[in-house]
Amino acid sequence: MTSPVWARRRAAAGRVWREFAANRGGLVGVVVLGLFVLTAILAPLLISESSLDVTRATGQRLESPSGDFPLGTDENGLSVLTLTLWGTRLSLVVGLAAAVLSVLIGTTVGILAGHFGGWLSAVLLRFTDFFLIMPSLVLAIALSAVLEGGAGTIILAIGVVSWPTSARLVRAQTLAVEARPYIERARALGGGHGHVIFKHVLPSVLPLVFVNTTLAVGTAIVAESTLRFLGLGSTSEITWGGLLRSASSSGAITYGAWWYLLPPGIAIVLLVLAFTLVGRALETVLNPKLRERR
Amino acid sequence: MLVRRRLAGAVSVIALVAVTVPWVAGAAQAQGEKVLRAGITQDLDSLNPFITITRVGTDLTRLTYEYLTTYDPKDYRPVPGLAEKWETSPDKLTWTFTIRSGAKWSDGQPITAADPAFTLNKMMTDKAAATANGNFVQGWESVTAPDDRTLVIRTKQPRSTMLALDIPIVPKHVWEKVTDFKAEPPLPLVGSGPFIVQDYKASQFIKLKANKDYWRGAPKIDALDFVYYKNVDAEVQALQKGDIDLMSRLVPAQYDALKNDPNIKLNTGAGRRLNEILINPGAASADGNPIGNGNPALKDVQLRKAIALAIDSRTLVDKVWGGYAVEAAGYIPPGFAEFHWPEKRKFDPAEANKMLDEAGYVRGADGVRADKTGKPLRLRLLGHAGTNLDEQGSKYITSWLKDIGIAVEPQMVADQKVNDATTAGNFDLAFSGWSANPDPDYVLSLQTCASRPNADGKGATPDSFLCDPEYDALYAQQLAETDRAKRIEIVKKMQQVLADRASLVILGYDNPLEAYRADRWAPFTTQPSSGGVIMNQQGYWGYYSATPGRTTDADAPAEAQGGGGNTGLVIGLVGGGVVVVLAGVLAFARLRRRGTADERE
Amino acid sequence: MTDFLAPVEETIAEAPPPQRGGGAVRYLLTKVGGAIMSVLMVVVLGFFLFRVMPGDPVTIMTRGRPVSGAQLDQLRAEHGFDQPILVQFWNYLVGLLHGDFGNSYAFNAPAGAIIGERLGPTLLLSGTAAVLAAALGLWLGAKTAWYRNGPLDRASTGVALVFWSIPPWWLGVVLLMIAGGVFPTGGMQSPDSPTALVPHALDVAHHMVLPVFTLVLAIYGQYQLVMRASLLEEMNSDYLTTARAKGLRDDMVRRRHALPNALLPTTTLVFLHLGMVVSGAITVEAVYSWPGLGQLTAEALEAKDLPLLQGIFIVLVIAVVIMNLVADVLLRVLDPRVRAS
Repeated sequence: MTSPVWARRRAAAGRVWREFAANRGGLVGVVVLGLFVLTAILAPLLISESSLDVTRATGQRLESPSGDFPLGTDENGLSVLTLTLWGTRLSLVVGLAAAVLSVLIGTTVGILAGHFGGWLSAVLLRFTDFFLIMPSLVLAIALSAVLEGGAGTIILAIGVVSWPTSARLVRAQTLAVEARPYIERARALGGGHGHVIFKHVLPSVLPLVFVNTTLAVGTAIVAESTLRFLGLGSTSEITWGGLLRSASSSGAITYGAWWYLLPPGIAIVLLVLAFTLVGRALETVLNPKLRERR
Repeated sequence: MLVRRRLAGAVSVIALVAVTVPWVAGAAQAQGEKVLRAGITQDLDSLNPFITITRVGTDLTRLTYEYLTTYDPKDYRPVPGLAEKWETSPDKLTWTFTIRSGAKWSDGQPITAADPAFTLNKMMTDKAAATANGNFVQGWESVTAPDDRTLVIRTKQPRSTMLALDIPIVPKHVWEKVTDFKAEPPLPLVGSGPFIVQDYKASQFIKLKANKDYWRGAPKIDALDFVYYKNVDAEVQALQKGDIDLMSRLVPAQYDALKNDPNIKLNTGAGRRLNEILINPGAASADGNPIGNGNPALKDVQLRKAIALAIDSRTLVDKVWGGYAVEAAGYIPPGFAEFHWPEKRKFDPAEANKMLDEAGYVRGADGVRADKTGKPLRLRLLGHAGTNLDEQGSKYITSWLKDIGIAVEPQMVADQKVNDATTAGNFDLAFSGWSANPDPDYVLSLQTCASRPNADGKGATPDSFLCDPEYDALYAQQLAETDRAKRIEIVKKMQQVLADRASLVILGYDNPLEAYRADRWAPFTTQPSSGGVIMNQQGYWGYYSATPGRTTDADAPAEAQGGGGNTGLVIGLVGGGVVVVLAGVLAFARLRRRGTADERE
Repeated sequence: MTDFLAPVEETIAEAPPPQRGGGAVRYLLTKVGGAIMSVLMVVVLGFFLFRVMPGDPVTIMTRGRPVSGAQLDQLRAEHGFDQPILVQFWNYLVGLLHGDFGNSYAFNAPAGAIIGERLGPTLLLSGTAAVLAAALGLWLGAKTAWYRNGPLDRASTGVALVFWSIPPWWLGVVLLMIAGGVFPTGGMQSPDSPTALVPHALDVAHHMVLPVFTLVLAIYGQYQLVMRASLLEEMNSDYLTTARAKGLRDDMVRRRHALPNALLPTTTLVFLHLGMVVSGAITVEAVYSWPGLGQLTAEALEAKDLPLLQGIFIVLVIAVVIMNLVADVLLRVLDPRVRAS
C-alpha cells in the first residue's frame, strides 16, 4: 500500500510519538516497562535452570538477605531475587495475553454491535450486560478450576470475564464514527459491511483499542496474581502471585521474612503502575474526544 | 466544606475506636471466667453427632459425648468410658458392657444402658443416623439393654474393633423425640463429656462450657472456645498477642519463629499421618476387571520395588518437612507406636539399578530404560497442587527416578482431580496420604480387594489397588483377633507384606506442630504421653487437662533462628517506602505533562 | 480494587447516559426487564458452571474418613446426585421458585440461611469501606482537581495511582505483618464479645480496623481519579465561564456549580461498584478471616458445595443488579439537567 492514506497515517503516528515523548510520566512508564521486558527476555541467559530447581537449592530455608542471596531465600532455599526475576516472564506474558484476548473479544463484539443494528446488536448488548454484572472473580475462579492447567487457563479465564467494558467503549466509538458523513459517502459508493468496518471503523477505533489494551494489561496482571494467590493455575510455574502464595503458606509473615513477601508484590505494583502510566499518557495523546475538540 | 467535615468526623471516629477498644475489650475479658481459647481453621459441617464427618465435628462430639470406651492418653489402649468394664463370650460374638452408675447427662438425667442401646439401634435401623459412623455397626446382630447397667451387643462375626467404637452415645430422652436425624440439634447440646457445646457461629467461633457434673470430675476451667482463623499467620499473631491460647497446624517456619517467644511453649510429636506414593499395580474393579489407564509395566513387582528403593525418605524429611517428620518405615505411622512396624525403608539406587538390569529393563540411548515390550519407561506422577510435599517432593522424585532410568512427568492438579483419578485407577504414580486412627483397621482395609471400586470407579475408597491373597487373609485374621498382642503381630506382618508388594512407597510421617501460651497454662496432657499432641487427639485429654498456671520448662529450645524480627521489617518498610516515593515521582512527572495538556485546550 | 478487572477510566463509561424528559417509566421498565433477564441467565449458568468443576462432592465430603461404598452411595442418593442432570436442574428451578436454594452439605443447613448469616458481616465490612473510600476519594479528587498541578495534586494523585496498582490481598498481608501485633488479626468479634450494644459495637469496630483500612486503601484511588477527571471536565464547561463572568467568587462557583455536577457520575460509579465490592472482598476476607460472603465463597468452592455456590452466585448478581438500578434511578432523580427538562 503506497496510497497517500498510509503516508498520512504514518505522519499521524509520528506526531503521536512526538506528543507522547513529551509526556514525561508516560516516558518513565515506557522505560520501566522496557526494563521489565528486558528482564523477561534476558532471564534465561542470566539465570540457570539449576538455580530454580529445589533439588539443587544451595540456601537454607528462609535465609535473610546476604551476599549470596541479595533478597534472601524462600522456604526451599532458593534465591528470592532469582525467582522474582524469573517470575517477570510469565506475569508479563500472561498479563499481556489476557489483556489482548479481552480487548480482542471486546472489540469484535463492540464493532459488530455498533455496526449492525437490529437483533444482532440487541443480543450482543444483552450478552455484554450479562457479563458486566457477573461477579468476575468468582466466575474466573470457577473457570480456571474447570479448565485446569497452567498459564493458558488463567489467560482464558481473565480474557473471558473482562471483555465487556471494552465492548461497550468500542461500540460507543463505532456508533460515533458511523454517524459521520464520510461513512455515508462510502456506503453510497457501494462499500459493503467489510469495507466500512475494516477501512473506516476499525482504523478510527484502533487508537482507543490500543489505549484500552494498555490500561487493561495492568488490571490483567493484578487479576492474574490474584488467581495465583488463590492457588489456581499450575503451581509449578513461577509467577509473582504464586511466589506470594508460597510465601504466605510457608509462614513468611510470622517468620518476618519481608524479603520474601515484599519483592514479588513490589514488582507487581511497579509493572501495573508502568502500564497505567503509559496507558494514561497514550490516552491524553490519542483520546478521540480531545482530538475532535481541537 | 461539608465533605471535609464529615471526613474529619469519620477519621476521628476510627481513631477513637482504635484507641479505646483494646481497653474496653480487656475490661470485658476480666470477668473471672477461666477460658481456654484454641484456634481452628476447618469448617464445621454439622453439630449433629450422627452426621458430622469432619475433623472438627468429631473433635467436638468427643468433647460433648462420652463414648463407651476411649483411648488411653499414654498409649492409645482402649480404656473405660461410659462402660466401666466389659467381657466377651467364649465364641467372641457377644459383648457385654457394664455402664457406670452415677454418671449424668448435662441436663441432670442419669445415664443408663438404655442410652447406648437407643443410639446403636437407631444407627442400625435409621439410614440417616448411620451417615457418619454406620460402618461400625455393620455386621451386628442385635443391641439390647437387659437392665439399666448392662448393654449387650451381638455380632455376626468376631470383631477386634469392638473396643474402638468411635460412636458418640446420645441421651435417649432427648433424641427419641427427634424424627429427622439429619437435622441440626438445638443448642446447647445435652451431653456427657467434659465440655458441652453451647453456641456456634459459622466461621467465627464455637463455645463450649465445662460440664461440672462430668463423671471424671469437673474440668479446671470454665469454658473452652474455638476461634476461627482462615489464615494461619494471623492465627500465630493472635497467639503471640494472647487472643488465643493454643493452636496446631504450624508450618516449620512459624514453629521456628516462635522459638524466640518466651511466652510460647512449643509441642511436637511423632507423626500420625502417613504420606505415600501409590504405584498402580494394575488397577481393577471389585469384580476383578481391569480399570483405569495405569502403565502396565508397573504390574511387575520388581519394577515397583526398584522405584521404592530409589526414593530417599531422609532427604524429604530434611528438605521438604524442614526436619519435622519421621523417616519412612511401616505403613502404620510411628505416632501409633504399638502397631508401627519400625524397620526403616531402604534407600539404595545402586541396588535398584542392579535389580532393573537383572529384570531385563535395558537403558536406551537417552538413559531411559525400556519396559518388557520395548517402550520407554515413562510414568506420570500425580500430585495435589498447592501441597508442599507433592510439589517439592515430585521434583526430588523425578530426579531420583531419572537416576535409575525412569522418566517421570509430574502433574500437579486440584485435590478433587487427584481423588477422581486415583479412585478410578487413572494414574501411574500418585501422592496420597491418610491420617491413621488408634485402631489400624480402617487404614489396613484400604489395601484389601474389597476396597476396590465398582466398574465406573465409584462406590469405594481404594488406595493402591493392591489385591493380594496373603494380605487379605491376614486382614481377616486381625479383624477377628481379640487378643491385642497377637493382633499387633498380625498387623506388623501385614506391613511387611505391604512393603514387599511395593504397591505403595511410604515417604514419611509429618509431625504435628503445636504451640500454646506458657505464661498462662500449665503443661497439657498429650496423647500419647511421650511425643504426643494436645489438639486433635483421639480423646479429650488435652482440653480436659487445661490448667491455668505457667509452663516453666527451662529446657525449652530458645536458639535464635532466622533473621526475622523488627530490623528486617524496618528495612522492608523503608524499601517499600522508597518504591512508593519513586512511584509518586513518576506520577508527578506524568501530571506535569497532563497539566500542560489540559491548559492547552 | 473493587471491580477487580476493570481499568479506572473505563468505569465511568458504565454510567448510563442521562436521558432527557418523558419515557421515565419506560426507561425504568426496560432496565428492570433487562435486569430480570440477566438474573435468569445467571440462574442457568450458576447451575451448570459449578457442576462441570472437577470433583465428586460426596468424595470431598467424606475425605479422609472411614466410609464404606454403601455409605457413599447413600450420600449420593440423599443429595440427588444419582439423578439425571436435567432432573436435578428441574428440582433446582422448582426450589428456586419457592425461594429455596437447597441444602448446603458443607454446613448441613439451608444454603439460603447460611448466605443470609454471612450477608450482614459482608455488608458491614464492604459498606463501611465503600463509604469511607468514597468520602476520601471524592474529597481528594475535588481537592486535586481544583488545585491541579499543585503539589497536593501531584503527590496525592501519584499515591492514588500507586494504591490503585496494589493487589488488595497483598496489601492485607503486608498490613498483617506490620500491624498484626496491635489490632485483631481475624474474625469479626471476640468469642466473649460483650453483649451490651456499645461495648459490642466497639469490639466489632476494633476487629474491623485492619480489613477496612486495607479495603479503603485498595478502592479509594479509583474514586479519587474519576472525581478528579470529571471535575476537570466540568470546570472546562461553558456555564462555569459564564458563572465566573457574572462575577461569582471562585469558591462559590466551585461549590455551587462544578462540584455537584461532577459528583453525579462519581456517585453513580460508587453505587455501580457497591455490588462488586462484595465479590472483590473475597481475598481480603480470606486474609482477615472475616466471616462474610467472600470467605463463604472460598469455603463453598473448596467443598464444591453446589447449592451454596449457586446461591452465592445468584445473590451476588442480584446485589449488582439492584445497585445498578439504584444508580440509574439516582442519576435520573439527582441530575439537575434531567430534572430541569
